[in-house]
This record gives sequence, C-alpha cells and structure tokens, in this order.
Amino acid sequence: MNLQREFCKGRAPGATEPMDAEALRSQLAAALARVASGDRVALQLVYEMTSAKLFGVCLRILNNRSEAEDVLQDVYVTVWRKAAAFDPGLASPITWLVTIARNRAIDRLRASAMTRRMEPIETADAVSDPAPGAAERVEMAQQHQRLAGCLDELEGRQAAAIRAAFLDGTTYEELATRMGVPLGTMKSWIRRGLLKLRACLER
Amino acid sequence: MSEDGTNDPTEGGKLIAAEYVLGVLGAEERREVERRLAQEPALASEVAFWEQRLTGLADTVAPVAPPPTTWSRIEAAIGAPGSDPSRPVPMAAARPASIWQSLAFWRSFGIASATLAAASIAALAYIGLVPSARAPLMATLGGAGGAPNFVATVAASGNRLVLVPAALLTNDPRAMQLWLIPAGEARPHSLGLVHPGQPIALDIPRDLAGRVTPDATLAISLEPPGGSPTGLPTGPVIASGKLASL
Repeated sequence: MNLQREFCKGRAPGATEPMDAEALRSQLAAALARVASGDRVALQLVYEMTSAKLFGVCLRILNNRSEAEDVLQDVYVTVWRKAAAFDPGLASPITWLVTIARNRAIDRLRASAMTRRMEPIETADAVSDPAPGAAERVEMAQQHQRLAGCLDELEGRQAAAIRAAFLDGTTYEELATRMGVPLGTMKSWIRRGLLKLRACLER
Repeated sequence: MSEDGTNDPTEGGKLIAAEYVLGVLGAEERREVERRLAQEPALASEVAFWEQRLTGLADTVAPVAPPPTTWSRIEAAIGAPGSDPSRPVPMAAARPASIWQSLAFWRSFGIASATLAAASIAALAYIGLVPSARAPLMATLGGAGGAPNFVATVAASGNRLVLVPAALLTNDPRAMQLWLIPAGEARPHSLGLVHPGQPIALDIPRDLAGRVTPDATLAISLEPPGGSPTGLPTGPVIASGKLASL
C-alpha cells in the first residue's frame, strides 16, 4: 500500500483520491466535444464506453436484437452528427446519450407497433419486479439513488407502472392492457405518481 | 370525470413533458411535443428536468455487448477513413517506432481482438452462460496541475485498453510508460509505452486482465527511451487515476 501511495505521489495535491463520477462525466463530455470537432477516434471511445449500456436500453424497449442493433447504429450516427448540440451545462453526457437511445428506440417501437406482438409474460415479470437488485442499487450514482428513494415513497403500483413505462417505453394503452386495469386508471396512477415524484425530487 | 379519468383535467397538460420523457405517449403526441419544444423554452426546460431525473432508471438495465458488426456499420455510415479494406496498413515496411506510434496499426490490431472478444461475449450471453457483459471501465489520468492528461477506457471485454491524450503534454524526450496497479496491490505492472500526442490501443496481457477492475490505478511515468529497464517505474509519475465502472 505504501509503495502504491509513493508511486502515485505525482498526482494533483488537491485532487480527491478516487476518480469520482464527476471526473468520468467530464471526460465523456470531453470525448463528445472531440466528436463534435470530427474526431472519429473520440467517437469510437464514446462507443466503447457507452454502447453496451445503450444497447441494453434499446434491447429492453424493442425486445428484438436486430431492431435494437439498427437503432444503436442510428444512435451513434446521430451522436456523430449532433455532438455539437450536446451542452455539458444542461445534461450529463450519459443522460444525453441514453435520452437519444430511448427516443430512437421508442420511435421505432411506435412505428412498428401495428405489427408487433405483445410479450405479456416478459412484461408481467418486469412489472412484478418494481425494485432493482441490491447490486445494481449499490452502483447507482447519487442522483439515481435519490430517484429510487422518491420512487420508494410512491404506492407500489404507481412506482411499478412508472418503472415499466420508462424501461419498456410502452404507451398508456399498452400498460393498461398489460396490468389489466382501465386506461383511465393507468393514466391516473402514472400522473399522480409523476406529481408526487416531482415534489419529492424538488425537495 | 375527465376523459382520461383523472380528477384534475389540468394535470395532463402540466405533465406532458414528464409523459414525453417517460415514454407513454403515442407517435402523434410525441411529434407534437417535439414541435413545441423548439418554440417553448419552458416546456424544453421541463423536459430537461425529467430527462435528468428519470434517466437514472436506466441504471437498472443491464449492459449488453452489441455485436461486433455494429461498430463497422457505424464507421461505414460516417465514412471513416481506414474502413477501406483495400488499403491495408503497411506493417512490414514500417519501422518499429512508427508502428508503435501508428494509430492505424493499433486500431486495426485492437479492433480485431476486440471484435473477437465481443463476439465471444455476445455468443456466451446469447446462450445464457453469462447474464450480461460487464460494464466498461474508465479512468481519468490527472497530472500535477489537476487537469486530466489522458483518458483510459477498458472495453467491456476487459482485455483491451484505449488511451487517449486529453491535453497536449510537454515535449519531454523521455518515453511515457503506462502502469497498472491492481486494486489492493502495491506493485505496478507495465502495460506498455504510450504516446502523448496520439490515442493508442493496448492489449492487456492475459495474466493482468483479471486485475483490471474498478479501483485499480493506472499511472504514467517518464522513462528512458524504450521504457523502464527495471520493470518498475524509475522516473516521475506525470499522470495517474483510478478505474471506475462507467
């Protein structure tokens, strides 16, 4: 341990010991800035850092590998073209990337909604599992823990509906069908849940 | 009762940003919100509020390594140079020093191995042997001034490291050598020489791959040309940082 300390002595005196989320975030932001200036290696760096997460997000929404691959490709081509629009003052880079991926995946899901077969078993699973696993929670960043804390304050079915809506990108109609409640009830659950969530998040 | 069953009919209007971000709107409603976003800053900031707060839910989604073909397709779509297979890297003709510094060489080498590794993981994940790929790791290597000098990422496969200079460093003629200090260990292990002006990809030796984990430290020292003669750092450490899951 002493040797390690000795070896790392050259680091910034004021710097905190562990590389925190803030530092990672600023580096992903720096990579995106390089992408904006046309740096292909930086895009590959962004891809290597984030593609598994974004593919997981797309796959969860689309529940179809080949569609998720198409969307993932589309996402990084969008990142390549629109990186200049990323404003680190407004959003964290991973939030920006996940948002692009979710929006693309949801649009794709809507576009193919007419031909899609619903997956009631898979979704029943997702809905009946309202809380993430312990290991995942440990990995959550502070803000995410805060969100989880606020979701915990909601009624179980409200929180479950909000989680399912976000993760699966399903419409009110689909959620109502899947959870076996009238459309109005589903809208009410989610809207009340969102209002309470907003109040909690602003506290 | 209002048409959607809520007691307060204004709630829907107020919450349209949240509903958009949550993803419960239909295609038409989504386009409508997107049209309004350009003209209504209040709506745009409400959408930004929810994006920042709700996106944490994505943390509960396990990462899944995309198939190796996806990156090639992206490269082709953005028209990357070097994606032309009719222009191979002239490895035999290049001197060792220029091979070492040649980004094209490292990229072609690294991509081949990463492709293989990603394919193996995808295959294993597909047949259910592993639940999902592990998260990629990243480290910012800061120097004495506190500014980041290098950014290192370790692909989800865990056997390849990409090091990108984040700032222009000194013209010091000494070589720069990258070291791994595994979490809980004291002894640095060399990962190879790096270049202050160019991104490089390094294959992580098999015996070290298992020790490239969160909380392992990466550091760069100045060494004689060709690297440290002792197998341990001999010169000053100019940048160091800890790996963390992304």
